[in-house]
Amino acid sequence: MADRQADLAGLVRAHQAGVWRYLRFLGCRPDEADDLAQETFLAVIRDGFEQRSAAETASYLRAVARNRLLMARRKQRSSPPLVDLEAAEAVWARVAGADGLGDYLVALEECLQAAVNPRVRRALELQYRQRLGRAEIAAELEMAAEGVKTLLRRARSALRDCVERKLGR
Amino acid sequence: MSQPNDELRARLRERLLEQALGEVLGGETPPDLSDKILAAAERLETVSTQRKEPVMEKSRRSRRFWAFSAAAACLVCAVGVAVFQQTRSAREDRQVARQSAAEMRRSPKLRGPSSMRSEEAEPGAAAAPWAEPPAVGLDRDPRGELAATADSSADGRALTLGERYSRAEQARQTFGNFPGQPTLRGAETSTPGAAPTGRGPGMGGDRYDRLVETPFRAVKDNPLSTFSIDVDTASYANVRRFLLQEGRLPPPDAVRIEELINYFDYDYSGPTDDVPFAAHIEVAGCPWQPEHRLVRIGLKGREIENQQRPRSNLVFLLDVSGSMDSPDKLPLLKQGMKMLAEQLGENDCVAIVVYASAEGLVLPSTSGQQRQKIIDALERLQAGGSTNGGAGIELAYRIAQDNFIQGGVNRVLLCTDGDFNVGTTSTGSLERIVEEKAKSGIFLSVLGFGRGNLNDAMMETISNKGNGNYAYIDGVTEAQKVLVEQIGGTLVTIAKDVKIQIEFNPAQVAAYRLIGYENRMLAAEDFNDDKKDAGEIGAGHTVTALYETVPAGGKVDLPAVDPLKYQAQAAPGGNQAASNELLTLKLRYKEPEEDSSKLLEFPLVDGKAPFGRASADFQFASAVASFGMLLRGSEHKGSGSYQAVLEIAESAKGADKHGYRAEFVEIVRRAEALAE
Repeated sequence: MADRQADLAGLVRAHQAGVWRYLRFLGCRPDEADDLAQETFLAVIRDGFEQRSAAETASYLRAVARNRLLMARRKQRSSPPLVDLEAAEAVWARVAGADGLGDYLVALEECLQAAVNPRVRRALELQYRQRLGRAEIAAELEMAAEGVKTLLRRARSALRDCVERKLGR
Repeated sequence: MSQPNDELRARLRERLLEQALGEVLGGETPPDLSDKILAAAERLETVSTQRKEPVMEKSRRSRRFWAFSAAAACLVCAVGVAVFQQTRSAREDRQVARQSAAEMRRSPKLRGPSSMRSEEAEPGAAAAPWAEPPAVGLDRDPRGELAATADSSADGRALTLGERYSRAEQARQTFGNFPGQPTLRGAETSTPGAAPTGRGPGMGGDRYDRLVETPFRAVKDNPLSTFSIDVDTASYANVRRFLLQEGRLPPPDAVRIEELINYFDYDYSGPTDDVPFAAHIEVAGCPWQPEHRLVRIGLKGREIENQQRPRSNLVFLLDVSGSMDSPDKLPLLKQGMKMLAEQLGENDCVAIVVYASAEGLVLPSTSGQQRQKIIDALERLQAGGSTNGGAGIELAYRIAQDNFIQGGVNRVLLCTDGDFNVGTTSTGSLERIVEEKAKSGIFLSVLGFGRGNLNDAMMETISNKGNGNYAYIDGVTEAQKVLVEQIGGTLVTIAKDVKIQIEFNPAQVAAYRLIGYENRMLAAEDFNDDKKDAGEIGAGHTVTALYETVPAGGKVDLPAVDPLKYQAQAAPGGNQAASNELLTLKLRYKEPEEDSSKLLEFPLVDGKAPFGRASADFQFASAVASFGMLLRGSEHKGSGSYQAVLEIAESAKGADKHGYRAEFVEIVRRAEALAE
């Protein structure tokens, strides 16, 4: 019983962030992801589980999470649109890996330091941290709004290449 | 499986990057759901094994409350929802069916464990270890399905979004606002019948992790007990503040018994040879449970005089955000840091980084000899703005890196009320930074100040990741203790990743229970795993752990595990088991700059001493443990009472150089009065 508790705690600790991020990736709002991540683990726990490799476990949890999501959506009145689930799973399994985006985030942090110059980094911070619109970013950086769009697009492309290269995915 | 077309894939990869940027830069991180999930799982387990009833039966009482508030909304919504859902669910059923069918085709994963062969699976999309029931047609009745998660309204109907929000809103109003945890379930996770937990009403924004007491373990099933040491004392100072300054009992989850015990100095002698610490084991009767024996393990780190401290490169990282603008925060912080600065000398250098809306270097690395310059810089600090702890931490580590002293002490001292809520920094990415920097030799200590915003859980976590310690400064006396008297322990780590493993002898001990250290438990195999992080011990620190043991033949009320079918039976009366040793204590530690651990072993024989003949330190520590169990409302408190704690503590006060033990007696008296 105590061992099982420890197993459960280990399972949850290792995979909860990944499941949550995955649900967000599929199109859940944060609160919805909170709920569904919990339901996912409870469903798995209720049906009994055995610890397998991290990749197998993560993959199984994703399958359960997808089903929970579809069931929840069936019961809700209005909800944000989901992405194409099958394609999303394929991309996630390939790029995000078994650790639920953990390595990806570390790589991204490194790439933010290494692969983009300070001005671009500033633009990204304004967009993602301060949540400014394109016009506001343009004003802040004293450049044309169209330029900001290109700047950010190039930055994302450089980051994506950098991260995926680092991860070899 | 059909490959999604390239454009779709590219869009999804873009989406993934966007999400990652949102997390790394925007702080949109996953919440910690463990305690909610585990509490719900516990209910699931208890109920399903004992009564075979739906889990929600147990929390029906709590649902009744929602029945009233939800009833009106239900009536209004019911008709509309019913009509809408009929059309919608038909549509979505088709999607579920499609999805599940696709799933089945794509990999063998949903066929169930017996038919599963992992090598068949594609890389990345690995096979599923367990059978998830197909979604189609599953639990069309929400009563059965959603029962497990408490996510239905009183009539068993799935909650509408509006209801979820209003429930979340009500929860926020009752329990304070917790980012990333908008559902009510947090409120339902506390043990039924227990006193309010750290997230209860009136707790403001203080956040505590849920602690579940370690139960008794049968030696025949679990002969090994493994945990990481913990030298933190924050919980004691916090408890003291509740009792003496606020005049109320602390929430049970704020009481970490090991931190209460470790707050006090014990007269253990230091090591005589070149190991960094000495171990002292003692066993005597258990004061709250006469048939049980209490085993005390005491460690004492090598003392280092202030003058002999190695060269130190310190960075004070000070929170000067608006929330620090209170007499028990910034002014106390300034005073504490000045007291610390007074202790520093030519071998030390100090830099000061502040963080609020923007991070800033207030004082570049300055020799400890230029004391006045340091004090002046502290004097000038003012509180204001929001908190961007993340950027501050990055800057602090950069400064520490720039001034790195090889072979010396390199440490960031983070002083805050724990309110990191703006900017990059999620606990997750903060932990990653801190852990990574600890590996490169820059350790982190956390000093908590003030109340109302104290993110106890986060501060403990990041100090652990950062090979550091966490102290809570509730007044000038505590600042004196942590920053002056124990400056060696606070600044100088003499051993890291210190793990304790006890092997109990089944011939002598039937069952055991580690008191406290709930969030420090390790798996038995972690003991020999040098990659597994554990606690640090500072110069002169003492660490004490208590085990309550049930002697062999004693009555143990434990759920028995069925006999194992395939395991070889241990030969009865085997050679080792016949030994009169009670247990063997094994210690693993690493020197601060090394990566491989060293092992120490100490066997213990029970001399059958009664409690009254135990050392004063043993008696005092057991009184503190009993006090902690009383505050936590522990089921293992036995015959313990505040009165008994008082009697033991008073008689075992000993020399009590700093008056800490006398103060403890005072605190117990206060708790006794408040508990009545």
